[in-house]
Amino acid sequence: MYNWDFGIVFSNWNVLGIGLLNTIKLAALCLVTGLSLGLLVGIARYSKRKIFNWPASIFVEVFRNTPVLVQIMWFFFALPILLQTQINAFSAAFLGLTMNTIAFSSEIFRGGIQSIAPGQWEAGKALGMTYVQQMQRVILPQAISRMIPAFTNRGVELVKMTTLASVIAFGELLHQAKTISTIYFNPIETYTVVALIFFVLIYPGTLLVRKLEKRADQ
Amino acid sequence: MEPILKIEDLHKSFGRLEVLKGIDLTVNKGETIVLIGSSGSGKSTLLRCVNFLELPSQGCIYLKGILQGTEKSMKSGKTNRVYHESQLCKVRTQVGMVFQHFNLFPHMKVLENVMEGPKTVLRISQKEAEQRALQYLEKVGLADKSQSYPARLSGGQQQRVAIARALAMEPDIMLFDEATSALDPELVGEVLLAIKELRDEGMTMIIVTHEIGFAYSVADKILFLHHGKIHEAGTPDEVLVRPKEQRTKEFLAGHNQFQIPQHSE
Repeated sequence: MYNWDFGIVFSNWNVLGIGLLNTIKLAALCLVTGLSLGLLVGIARYSKRKIFNWPASIFVEVFRNTPVLVQIMWFFFALPILLQTQINAFSAAFLGLTMNTIAFSSEIFRGGIQSIAPGQWEAGKALGMTYVQQMQRVILPQAISRMIPAFTNRGVELVKMTTLASVIAFGELLHQAKTISTIYFNPIETYTVVALIFFVLIYPGTLLVRKLEKRADQ
Repeated sequence: MEPILKIEDLHKSFGRLEVLKGIDLTVNKGETIVLIGSSGSGKSTLLRCVNFLELPSQGCIYLKGILQGTEKSMKSGKTNRVYHESQLCKVRTQVGMVFQHFNLFPHMKVLENVMEGPKTVLRISQKEAEQRALQYLEKVGLADKSQSYPARLSGGQQQRVAIARALAMEPDIMLFDEATSALDPELVGEVLLAIKELRDEGMTMIIVTHEIGFAYSVADKILFLHHGKIHEAGTPDEVLVRPKEQRTKEFLAGHNQFQIPQHSE
């Protein structure tokens, strides 16, 4: 019978605390940057003009069809050599996760924009609105409210994906846990606590998605 | 006097399909023109060319005497007209349009729907836009619904809001694209009445409709479109009562297939 001992984990709470803060910091920063740039890429992808459409499409396809882990590794190990500089673990993780969020959220934006009936564009156009005004005043306000469940979902996924940054030794929650468990040989307690922390962090988000989806259905 | 709208040899193709094959039309101030014809005859396309929701493939459109678009010579040696978005935005402020499916902005209250054009496009102040919107809602009899969302309104009410929204831009000409085709029969009347009132006040209008009786009572001139051309044109009496062309007669016969016998006391 295994003798559970959470004492060591709790006495190292500050190590996990730093990890938790880093996890939140990374996820929040990637989410905000990813969503804002995702909007631009989404609009560019929706555009009929090839100079906007093509680069945006290539970007999205590249980052959607490669694993995030590979992207993070690439930004950490390959990009510094190409640029002849140092890139710290946080920046590499930030780049990888943000690019991925941009790619996915731009697809959500594009889908949301596409879901608005063509008559809405025409009504704006017939009033003499420019493309930007149609987008700003008519299309986005309607599209964004439809997209909120999908974005909340993306946020939840993003928090989970931050753990990938542990492979390049960024001190987020999982990496901090690994440190504790290597020193004290207590993987069971440490990873159990980490799992619980993630659950507490993520579950409200999942509940929120469910609620939003239900409301959207009505 | 300068006509509000003059169209010369208008052609419009979608890919290889030529929908309009040379339309000439002059609309004077205060005139009401009604376009009739079977679906696919090009009447909606013609209407949509007037406010450039569709760009003409060939031909000239003059609005208040101004030829729209700029001339550009093509590689083939022919010249063609090109239309710049910024010019079109300005033209569209002078041409009001009412759509078959209303196309109200569902995320805005009725008042905001009507204010939107004057505020965002004409850039008049919030307060002025609000006054103007209320004035036009009053006109279509819906001032009391100004704080409702469109979804709470009946189809007929929504269409009247859409009319107010177009009027609030104070356009020189109004276009109605089958404005009652999506409505329950019992709601058609209120919208037709609103349009008729506009005519009586001297608004210049082009109306696409399947309501032949309505066409008869409001039109100064009726155009029967067939295969992308004006097949027959004239006063309501000439076109609807004594049509000369075989195709016009057939079209009208199709519309009058079933009639309730007149009740005699």
